[in-house]
Amino acid sequence: MILIAAAILSSGQFLDPYNFQSMAVQVPEVGLLAIAIAITMISGNGGIDLSVVSIANLSAIVAGLIVRSSLGGAGQGTLYAMSFVVIALLVGTACGLINGFLVSRGNFPPILATLGTQFVFVGLSVALSGGPSVSLGETEVFGQIGNGSILGIPIPFVIFMLAVLGFSWVLTRSRFGFRLYLLGTNAKAANFTGINNNTIMLFTYTLSGVLASIAGIIIASRASSVKWDYGSSYLLIAILIAVMGGINPSGGWGKMLGVVLASFALQMLSSTLNFLGTSNFLKDFTWGLLLLLSIVLTGTRLGGFVKPKPARES
Amino acid sequence: MKKVLLIGAGLIVAAGVTGVLAQKKWTITTVVKITGINWFNRMEEGVKEYAKTSGNNAVQTGPAQADPAQQLQLITDLVAKKPDAIAVVPMDPATLEPIFKTAMARGIKIITHEADNQKNTLYDIEAFDNVAFGANLNKRLEKCMGGEGKWTVFVGSLGSKTHNQWADGGIGNAKKNAKMILVDAKQETADDADKAYEKAKEILTKHPDIKGFQGSASTDVAGIGRAIEEAGLNDKVCVFGTSLPSIAGKYIETGAVDGIGFWDPKDAGIVMNKVAQMVLEKKAITNGMNLGIKGYEKVSVTKGPGVGKIIRGSAFVDVDKSNYKNFPF
Repeated sequence: MILIAAAILSSGQFLDPYNFQSMAVQVPEVGLLAIAIAITMISGNGGIDLSVVSIANLSAIVAGLIVRSSLGGAGQGTLYAMSFVVIALLVGTACGLINGFLVSRGNFPPILATLGTQFVFVGLSVALSGGPSVSLGETEVFGQIGNGSILGIPIPFVIFMLAVLGFSWVLTRSRFGFRLYLLGTNAKAANFTGINNNTIMLFTYTLSGVLASIAGIIIASRASSVKWDYGSSYLLIAILIAVMGGINPSGGWGKMLGVVLASFALQMLSSTLNFLGTSNFLKDFTWGLLLLLSIVLTGTRLGGFVKPKPARES
Repeated sequence: MKKVLLIGAGLIVAAGVTGVLAQKKWTITTVVKITGINWFNRMEEGVKEYAKTSGNNAVQTGPAQADPAQQLQLITDLVAKKPDAIAVVPMDPATLEPIFKTAMARGIKIITHEADNQKNTLYDIEAFDNVAFGANLNKRLEKCMGGEGKWTVFVGSLGSKTHNQWADGGIGNAKKNAKMILVDAKQETADDADKAYEKAKEILTKHPDIKGFQGSASTDVAGIGRAIEEAGLNDKVCVFGTSLPSIAGKYIETGAVDGIGFWDPKDAGIVMNKVAQMVLEKKAITNGMNLGIKGYEKVSVTKGPGVGKIIRGSAFVDVDKSNYKNFPF
């Protein structure tokens, strides 16, 4: 529907294949963050990860700084790209583990724990990078991750699709996925069936951190630089995608397919608004409205009251 | 006969081509750092004025939040839409390098403003030489201080290139006069008036005999002005800095701030679009050229860090109590 309206309003310009490629490049960053938030929401107990954007930036900054200083001269090759990816993933894992420990062992409410770690990660990013963006320069192999394409399909999109397929498999077919839904539906019952809730929680938040760092890698490659405040407006949009995609903010329910469709729909809407040159405040307004509507709709579908807490932005 | 026909046909084609060129309306989009703040509202006035006088389709847009990611997305969508030229005030030049490269490969002309480290741009426009601007501010401060005494300079952040250039320009000017004593140089204020206020109070306590302050962030003089006013030193301490009348006007009126300097974003908006048009018409911009806007009558053109060139005007505006009301932004 959005597509047709956009096509008519922009007199066909919108249907230029280049525009679809361009949208496919833009979806993955926020799409991956939305998956990260989605799995924490499924885990229940008011689960949410507010620190995803800061993890993405922190992992990219740490990786960027290390790789640039140690391999700076040979900044073009595969080694550079590989080490960047590995370091970023490690940092993402570490950040996720911290969140996981706070939420599972520390018993902090996720919204507070991740709000806190968000500021810690942002602070670290600023301290490490000194504030201004750290330029990675012209990096041939690494630059391909964000800017290249395979058979006309942008690589970030391929990565996003792989993550989506991987996670739908994990959620629907694996033991972890089954236990995650159970935990989200009823933590007490899950515990009595012999599931170690803490381990599941820890694993979920760690996965969320890893996903965030993948988004960070794509961002760094696409912008060929890293900066602490990149994507500071992504958090609300990622939450919106998760909720719009049918993930139940109070846990136990939601599918990857919904998240993917929601991220496409939002990207198209966003690009359409940009195409038509409307005010960008209208966009913010639309996001907020959509978020509220989705919560209302999710709430009615479940025939009950949905805790508004997890959907609130920091 | 054949020749005549050929020449004739050639002429007709040439006339046709120039006719089309003359009539073609260019689409030029200006992308600013953030929409809805005074500075860029003023720039939009310039873009609108340009659209009116030139007949070209010139519009301004910008993200609703100050986030480099949003600016990148906006430009990514714009590149897909393919206007003839995009004029950008980059939030973070490094972030935009790849998309500018793609844009230029698609045949879109890129013009930037306030980004003299941008590699992938055809022309970057700077209102003035930053060091000269800082020196000019300091000369006014020196005059106000009677040519002697302790003074200090604030920067928004040590990472900000322009702020440091302004501060260094000022320090360079003061060095020529041995009676100007610099104390606690380059305190960071995080572009926050409250921080500048606290820092100014600290300095006033530490150096009760301080005679002058030079600010860099547009909020610096407002914070310093508040501290000076509270200390009742309006007439004793001189305050100069980069700011706008809408931010510092209140303190200029009371005399807590003695003068400010800035460049008019409206003119910068017009110049960006004019340069874009010239590039589209395949006209080169040369050293000493007159771009027809005040402050840009004799621009200097130098090679930039990348493919493009840097155009510098001398468009600084000196404002004090006598004329700040002429600049309603």
